[in-house]
Amino acid sequence: MTEATISVKPKVSGTTLHKLRTREQITGYLFTLPALIIILVFGLFPILYSFYMSLFNWRVTKGAFVGDKNYLLIFGNWTNLLITLAGVALIVGAFWVWSNAFKSLSKGETIAKVLAAVVMIVGGVVFVTGWGQMLDSGNPSFLKSLIVTLYYALGTVPAEVILGMILAFLLYQDIVGKDIFRMIYFLPYVTPSVTSAVVFQIIFSLRETSIANMIIGWFGISPQKWRFEPKPLLNLLGLDISGFLAGPSLALFSIMIYGIWSFVGYNTVIFLAGLGNIPKETYEAAEIDGASKSQMFRHITMPLLSPTTFYLTLIGFIGTFKAFNHIYVLRTPSAGDSVITTSLLIFDNFYKANQYGVATAQAIVLFLVILGLTLAQNKLMGERVFYG
Amino acid sequence: MDNVVEKQKPVVVTPRVKRSRFYYVGRILTYAILILGAIVFIFPFFWMISSSLMTLGETITRQLMPKVPQWVNYVDAWNQAKFSKYFLNSVLITLGTLAGLLITSILAGYAFGRIDFKGKNILFGLFLATMMIPESVTLIPNYLLIRGNIFPIPGGTWLNKYWSLTVPFIANAFSIFLLRQFFAQIPKELWDAARIDGADHLRFLIQVVLPISKAPIMTVLLFGFTGSWNAFQWPLLVTTNDTWRPIMVGLWSFVNEAGPQTHLLMAGAVISLIPILIIYFLTQKQFTQGIATTGLKG
Repeated sequence: MTEATISVKPKVSGTTLHKLRTREQITGYLFTLPALIIILVFGLFPILYSFYMSLFNWRVTKGAFVGDKNYLLIFGNWTNLLITLAGVALIVGAFWVWSNAFKSLSKGETIAKVLAAVVMIVGGVVFVTGWGQMLDSGNPSFLKSLIVTLYYALGTVPAEVILGMILAFLLYQDIVGKDIFRMIYFLPYVTPSVTSAVVFQIIFSLRETSIANMIIGWFGISPQKWRFEPKPLLNLLGLDISGFLAGPSLALFSIMIYGIWSFVGYNTVIFLAGLGNIPKETYEAAEIDGASKSQMFRHITMPLLSPTTFYLTLIGFIGTFKAFNHIYVLRTPSAGDSVITTSLLIFDNFYKANQYGVATAQAIVLFLVILGLTLAQNKLMGERVFYG
Repeated sequence: MDNVVEKQKPVVVTPRVKRSRFYYVGRILTYAILILGAIVFIFPFFWMISSSLMTLGETITRQLMPKVPQWVNYVDAWNQAKFSKYFLNSVLITLGTLAGLLITSILAGYAFGRIDFKGKNILFGLFLATMMIPESVTLIPNYLLIRGNIFPIPGGTWLNKYWSLTVPFIANAFSIFLLRQFFAQIPKELWDAARIDGADHLRFLIQVVLPISKAPIMTVLLFGFTGSWNAFQWPLLVTTNDTWRPIMVGLWSFVNEAGPQTHLLMAGAVISLIPILIIYFLTQKQFTQGIATTGLKG
C-alpha cells in the first residue's frame, strides 16, 4: 500500500522513501542470490583457484609451492615467450598498418605497404626464432597441440563459412521445399556431438569396407586408415613436405570433415537470417541505377553481410579452441599426438597423468590464447566490418 | 548478359518475364547443389538407422541396408547394454537441471532487468564474463570441489551422485542474459499499474511478467535441455560407475567396454538422439530462430 502512495503523491517523508529504496535493494539481491551462488562457486571461483593450483606442484593432492615452474615447463623460459609474443605483436602491427594504408593518401599508401611488408617479415623471423627456442627448452607436446588446434581451426572455419554462405545464397532464392532443406542442413548441428561422432567413428574406420573407403574407392583410391593414420595428408598424396607445412594428419583431417559436416548448417541458418535483414529497397534502388547482379553482390550483399561473416568466423575460431567432445570420441591411440588439440591435452594431463598443476597452468595459457585471438580478430577484422 | 542475370536475381522478382535457357540451367544447378548437400547431411543419419537394424555380420561387410530389419537390436541395446539405465539417468538429470535453471534465471533475469540495486551492473558484467571462460579452466577446480577437496560439502563427496551432474548447471549467464533482455523491454506502465494495485515484485513477476514471457522461457528451456542432454566432458569425469552415468557417457563407454558391436552401438545412438529429434521437430521454428538470434549452442 505504501508503494501506491508514492506514485500518487510525490512528496513523502524521507524515511518512507528510504525504507522503500532499501526494500527494493533487498529484493534485487534476494532475486539474484540463487544464481549468484551457483555462478560464484562453479564459474568464478574456479578461475582463481585454477591460477592458485597452477603455482603448486599439484598431483592429485597439493604439493610444494613452485611459483612459475609449471608455466616455465611450457615455454622453457620467459625470454622465449617474450620473443615469440614480440613476433606476434609485430605481425599484428604490420597487418594493422597494411589495412590502414588503404585509407591514406596514394603516396603514403605505397610507403606504408612497403613498411608493413618489412615489419611483417621481421615479425615472422622473430616469431619463428622464439617458437624454435620454446620447442627446444619448453614442452613440445603442448606447443604441438597448439599447432594441431591451429590446423583444425584453419581447416574447418573458412570451409564452414564459405559453404554456409553458398548454401544460404542458394536457399535464399525462390526454392521449392526451402524449409525442408533448411531443416535437414541444421540437423547435424542439433544432433548431440557424441552421438554423431560415434557414427563417424564407424564411417571413418580402417576397415576396407568402411563408408569412407567405399567413397574414395569410387575414385579409384586405395583404402586408407583414416582415424588411425598419423601421417600428414599431403605426404599420403605424394608430396614430400615435413614440418609445419606438411599440414594435418589424415586422422585430424577425418575429424575436420566431421567438424565441417556438423557446423555448416548452423552457418547457413545464421547467413539466411543475415540475408533476410538486408532491406529489399537497397537492391531496388541499385537496380534503378543500373547495377548488375555481380555489382550488387559486391557492393551491397557482401558489405551488409560482413558482420555476420565476422561473427561466424570469430565464434568458429573460439569454438575450435574449446572443442572437446567429438575429438575425444574420434581420436585413436595410433593417430598419436597428431589429433591432440590443446583442450584434449589439458584433459589428458589432468585425468590420465594426474598432473593437476601442469594442467591448470596449460588451461590458463589456453584461456589467454583464446582471449588474445578474440581481441586481435576484433581489432583486425572489426575495422573492415560494416555495421549498418 | 545483363538481361539474363537480372532474371536470376533472387530478391527482386519481376513477374511475367520471358525466361531464357540460362535461367533454367541456373535453377537446375541450384537444386542439384542443394540436393547434394541434403544427401551429405542426411547420409550419416540414414546409415546410423540402417546399421542399427543389421546383424553384426552385416555391419562388417559392405552393405547399406539390412536384409531383414533386426528390431531386436533395440531391445538388446535397451536391456543388455543398459541404455535404459543411461536414458533414465539423463531424463532425471535434465529435468532437475531445467527446474533449477528456470527458477534461478527467471529471478536473476528479472532483478537485472527491472530492479535497481547497488552493484547491479558490476554483478551483471561479472556474470557475462563467465560466458567467455573455456570449460578447460573451470573443469579441474570444479572436480576437486565436488569431491569435497577444497571445502567440505554436504554428503562428503558428490562423485557419482546426482548433485554433481545437476547443481553446477542450474544457473548460467546466458539464460539470465536472455531473460533480462526480454524483461527489460516490458513497458513500465504495467509495473506502475500493478504497484497501484498493491503488488510487489514477486507477484508482478508471477502474475504479469511470466504469462507474457513464454517465448524467451521456451528458448531457455530448449538450450538448457540440449546442454544437459548432450553433456559429455563433465559427466565423464564425475561418473565412475553406472549409478548416474548419463546417456552420452554410456554411449561412449559402450564403444570401449563392449567391443565392436556396431549394430547395438548404432541402436544406442538412435536412442540417444530420439528426445532431441522429437523436440527439434516439435519446436523447429523456435529452435532455429532461438539459435539464429542468440547464436549459442547449449
